[in-house]
Amino acid sequence: MRLFHNYHYIASMLLFCIGLYTVIVRRNIIKKLIGLNIMETSVFLFLISLGYLDGGIAPIGIGGADPSRMVNPLPQALILTGIVVAVSVTALALALVILLYRQYGTLDVDRLFRDEETGGEEGEEKGETA
Amino acid sequence: MGTALNLTFIVLLVVTALLAVLARDLLAAVIIFSAYSLIMALMWQRLQAPDLALTEAAVGAGVTTVLFVVAIFKTRRREEEEE
Amino acid sequence: MISLVFIAALFALLLYVVANMPPMGDPDNPTNSSEVIERYLEKGGEETHADNVVTGIIINYRGYDTMGEVTVIFCALAAVLAVLGRERRGRIYAYVDRSRVPSSVIVRTMVALLVPFIILFSVYTILHGEISPGGGFQGGAIVGGSMIVFTTIFGLLESSQRIPQRLRFPLEGSAVITFFAVGALGLAGGGNFLTFAWPEIAGNLQPSLVVWLTVLVETGIGLGGAMVLISILFSMIREEEEIAVVP
Repeated sequence: MRLFHNYHYIASMLLFCIGLYTVIVRRNIIKKLIGLNIMETSVFLFLISLGYLDGGIAPIGIGGADPSRMVNPLPQALILTGIVVAVSVTALALALVILLYRQYGTLDVDRLFRDEETGGEEGEEKGETA
Repeated sequence: MGTALNLTFIVLLVVTALLAVLARDLLAAVIIFSAYSLIMALMWQRLQAPDLALTEAAVGAGVTTVLFVVAIFKTRRREEEEE
Repeated sequence: MISLVFIAALFALLLYVVANMPPMGDPDNPTNSSEVIERYLEKGGEETHADNVVTGIIINYRGYDTMGEVTVIFCALAAVLAVLGRERRGRIYAYVDRSRVPSSVIVRTMVALLVPFIILFSVYTILHGEISPGGGFQGGAIVGGSMIVFTTIFGLLESSQRIPQRLRFPLEGSAVITFFAVGALGLAGGGNFLTFAWPEIAGNLQPSLVVWLTVLVETGIGLGGAMVLISILFSMIREEEEIAVVP
C-alpha cells in the first residue's frame, strides 16, 4: 500500500487541485487570491513531506540530539523563505485589488473585462464617488 | 496514533480548503482560510518543522488574514451574483 | 465544465506520479541521503555556531537566498506604497476611521495589557533564533500581529501615533542594510561576502563573534520585517478622506 503510505503527497496534490480550480473557475479576485494561497501551502506541504523521516526529530541540536535522526533541514529553510515571499505577494496583490475596486467598482473578472470593452463609463462614475 | 492524528489533520485541511473555496461570503471564506492556516501550522509541527509552524501561525493565520479582511472592508463583502 | 475535467485529469496524473514515488519518511530516499544534508546536520553546529540548523542554513550557508528574500519584502512594501500611498505625516489628521470599531472597556484594557507581552515574546523569539525555533521573520511577524490587534481595537490614528512614521521610515530598510553591512564586514575581514567568520582579523574570537553577528542580523531582519508589515497594514487601512485638524 505505497499509495496509502504517501498520504501526505496525495493531500498536497488534492489541495493543489482545489486551489487551481479556484484560480481558474471562481470569478471574484479575492477568491482567486485565496486559491493561490492554498496552492502555495500545498506545494510547501509537499516539499516538507519529502524531507520527513519516520520517527525523526526537529533539526535543533540541543541536549546531544542525534544528527542521524533529524529530519531534512534544507526544505524547511527554503520554505521559510517561501512563506515570507508568499505573504509579500499577497500584500501587493491585495493593494492592487483595492486600487482596482476604486477604479472600476467591481471585483468580478468578467465585469472588469466588459467595462474595459465598453470604455468603463460605469466604473469611472463609481470610482469618483468611492 | 500518529497516523490517525496526521490523517485527521489532512481531512480537516481538505475540508477547510473546500469550505473556503465554496463559501459565498468572502469574509467567511477568509476566516475559514485562517483556520486552514492554523491547521497547517499544526501539520508543520507534526512534520517536525517547528520554525515553519511558528512562521505559519504568525504570518499565515495572523498577518495574511488581516490583510484579506482589510481588503474586503475596502471593497465589498459579497461575491457578485451570476447574471 | 471543461476546467473541471481538466483539473480531474491533472489530479489523476499527479496521483499516478505519487504512486511511483518512494515511500515517505524512508532514510534512503534520494532527498534525505544526500551528502549536503549530512554535512549540514553534522557540521552545522560547529561551523555556524547555531544549534538550530534551520537558522544556520538561513543566515549562514544560504545567506544569499535570505538577502534576496529580505529585498523581496522591502520591494513589496515599496510597491504597496507606490500603489496606495503612505499615510500623511507631519500635521495631525483626523481619520475618517472605519477601522475603529467601538469596543468595550474590557477589550481595550485586555489588549493594552496583552500587547507588551506579545512584543516581549517576539523579542525572545528573535534573540533565541539560533538555539530554539524562531528567528527574525517569526519575531517580526509576531510584532506585526500585535500591532494589528492594537490597530483593530484602538484605530489607526492612535496606533500610528504609537509607532510614528519618523520611527518606521528609517527602520523599514534595516533588514537589507544589516544584511549587506554584515556581508561587507566579512569581506573586509578577509573572507568572502557574507562569511561570518573573519579568518585574518578575529580568528580566535570566532565563536562569540559569529554568534553576535547572527543575533545582529536576526535583530535587523526582525525589526525590518515588523516595520514593513506595519507600514503595509497602515497604508492599506488608510482612508482617502483625511480631514485636516488645526495643528
